[in-house]
Amino acid sequence: MENTIVKAENYNGYFGDNHVVKDVNISINKNEVIAVMGPSGCGKTTFLRGINRMHELIPGATSKGKILLDGENVYDMNAIYVRYKIGMVFQRPNPFPNLSIYENVVAGYMLNGLKVSKADKDVIVERSLTSAALWKEVKDSLHKKGTFLSGGQQQRLCIARAIAMQPELILFDEPTSALDPISTSSVEALFHELKANYTLIIVTHNMQQAARVSDRTAFFYMGELVEFDDTKQMFTNPADQRTQNYITGRFS
Amino acid sequence: MEPRIGIRNFKSVLFKSVIIFFAFVITIPLIIVLLYIIKQGITQVNWHFLTHVPAPVGEAGGGIINALVGSFIMVGVAAIIAIPVGMMAGIYLSENPRTKLAYYSGLCVDILQGVPSIVVGIVAYFWVVKPLGTFSALSGSMALAIMMLPIVIRSTEQTLNLLPDSLKEAALSLGVPYHRVIIKVIVPCGFAGILSGITLSIARVIGETAPLLFTALGNSYLSVSLTKPMESLPHLIFTYATSPYDDWHNLAWGASFILLMFVLILNIVTKLLTRKWKIQL
Amino acid sequence: MTQLETEISALKSELISMWILVQSQFNKAKEAMVQFDKDLAREVLVKEKRVNSFELKIDRDCENILALHCPVAIDLRFLLAALKINTNLERIGDIAAGIAMYVIESPVNFDLKALEKSQVLRMYEEAVNILMDTRTAFEKEDTILARSIFKRDDVLDKINIEAPEYIAAIIREDIENINESLYILSIIRKLERVGDQSMNIAEEIIFYVEAKILKHQESLNKE
Repeated sequence: MENTIVKAENYNGYFGDNHVVKDVNISINKNEVIAVMGPSGCGKTTFLRGINRMHELIPGATSKGKILLDGENVYDMNAIYVRYKIGMVFQRPNPFPNLSIYENVVAGYMLNGLKVSKADKDVIVERSLTSAALWKEVKDSLHKKGTFLSGGQQQRLCIARAIAMQPELILFDEPTSALDPISTSSVEALFHELKANYTLIIVTHNMQQAARVSDRTAFFYMGELVEFDDTKQMFTNPADQRTQNYITGRFS
Repeated sequence: MEPRIGIRNFKSVLFKSVIIFFAFVITIPLIIVLLYIIKQGITQVNWHFLTHVPAPVGEAGGGIINALVGSFIMVGVAAIIAIPVGMMAGIYLSENPRTKLAYYSGLCVDILQGVPSIVVGIVAYFWVVKPLGTFSALSGSMALAIMMLPIVIRSTEQTLNLLPDSLKEAALSLGVPYHRVIIKVIVPCGFAGILSGITLSIARVIGETAPLLFTALGNSYLSVSLTKPMESLPHLIFTYATSPYDDWHNLAWGASFILLMFVLILNIVTKLLTRKWKIQL
Repeated sequence: MTQLETEISALKSELISMWILVQSQFNKAKEAMVQFDKDLAREVLVKEKRVNSFELKIDRDCENILALHCPVAIDLRFLLAALKINTNLERIGDIAAGIAMYVIESPVNFDLKALEKSQVLRMYEEAVNILMDTRTAFEKEDTILARSIFKRDDVLDKINIEAPEYIAAIIREDIENINESLYILSIIRKLERVGDQSMNIAEEIIFYVEAKILKHQESLNKE
């Protein structure tokens, strides 16, 4: 129990009348890498965005049930604070185009008007970029705009930006879908290193990626959490027939 | 088979030639106007011209400083009124496109854009001139501001619509509150587009005469007071070009040249801004 | 190193640990046979459980790597070879345990002269060397060494074919020798199988390193 960082209790997500995420109960521990997989439209992204309350920003989107972060229900907390505490990386790399690489990393502090001394900022930038395996490549061009980097580098910059806020939990929404295979492997290698200090939840439509990177995997189908187990178990002998059908490619 | 292909090729070439011809034809009026005004006006422009008020009838020389300063002040005040209001309205329309308010206010903006400039002038007359009891530069600015608004609003809205949602999402996911997302992320990213809308609207109103006819009126002397009548470049051109005196005709040519240069430069700057910054986006 | 490389490297180490254990079992059984040491033989039987649990673990690890990483090319060939080598090693372990069992069951000591006459000692020496060399070939990915195994298995086969003659001679000398002789004959049969298992292992090594399949070919054609 001490080790649980996120717990969903009867969580339901809706788009208007559309019941997209049905009664999810799941418990995630610290320093785990959790993959969330499933076919398109199964509710995995909606569930992920329910955790840091990004879901409700869409007009007409509502949710019911609880999601506990370190024991506190995020729906009882201030939404902006929840988003501040949880990091998120999106499918398309989205560094701020008007800011330099340096400014992008500390954007979370600057945009929130938090006063940080130059020396501290330098430390944060170096530490975050190193954790994101990007420091060596950009340390001599920190004042160039972020949009001049390649896709894989931009995505790692977005990861550095999320890490800079020192969140306990980082959510990834299909983080390598828009990247080429080599950039994808460099980001996947990063997950292994980040595990030591953070908890990661990664939504992916690529089940091989789920197999490669995660400790435990959650399989969503038609809005329900069908199975949640050790990745090794899930891919060698899943308990549910639907899971087996999905991973063997019997249906998309 | 052979002849049909031949005819088709010929028709194709003919069509292309016609298009190219008309593309050239269109540039002719602009070039003629530009060349003529430059020819007539450039000789008038000198330091004396730019720093003196018009001479009384009969005297040679004189300048257009009252109109220069007048246009500058009135357009400046109009901008100060129109830019904040326009940007806010544009931001609202971009952020909340599906509300009833957005629909109706958008409709009003489009209608406003089509209102004849003289009608705007009359409205300003009733709103500002009558209550104040005097023609004034302020009423002129108000009229100009009303004309600037639709352009600023629409360009702000369109620029912000072009920005990808992912930008807002990135900022929101960092725990940035909504007002800061708009002020510190969205607006700065769309800055070039918004600025181009502003320069475009200035280029539009700087040459407007009708709304100033019964608001700012005109003034032979240099005035910087907002509550008194003020001269403006287009008004001066109108007055002096239609007068019977040659000296005043010369002034009008010179003023036309200056006005034309302003408008040209503003349009070029707008074009450069949109091109340069769009690449970054 | 990627995650996959790390896991394959760990699997290699496991296989080598199992190999070392099986070699030690095999050597101990030989000592027990020569010295007729029943205690040593019992040690072999006890350790047999470890050989079996190695086999289970390596099987499971291969399954996991295949499921999670979907390896291709040399990695895939390595895993397929590892699965088979695993089975072969376990069988060799079984054989060592079987020989140790004979030592425990036999009511009479094995006479050293009989051991020499039947050539079982020579056969055992050769088998021990072959087993060592297959391990070296695996560790160093040395396919030339692997290929040399095929010729040397011929030696074992020859001794196996000649065995009935020599054993019959020993029995004719003294009918009392019959128990011991039968045990020695059984050991010879078992050692011949060790040669076969080692050949299989050598084939798998060549498969995984060179992607050449040498199974089911006449021994003369094995180049």
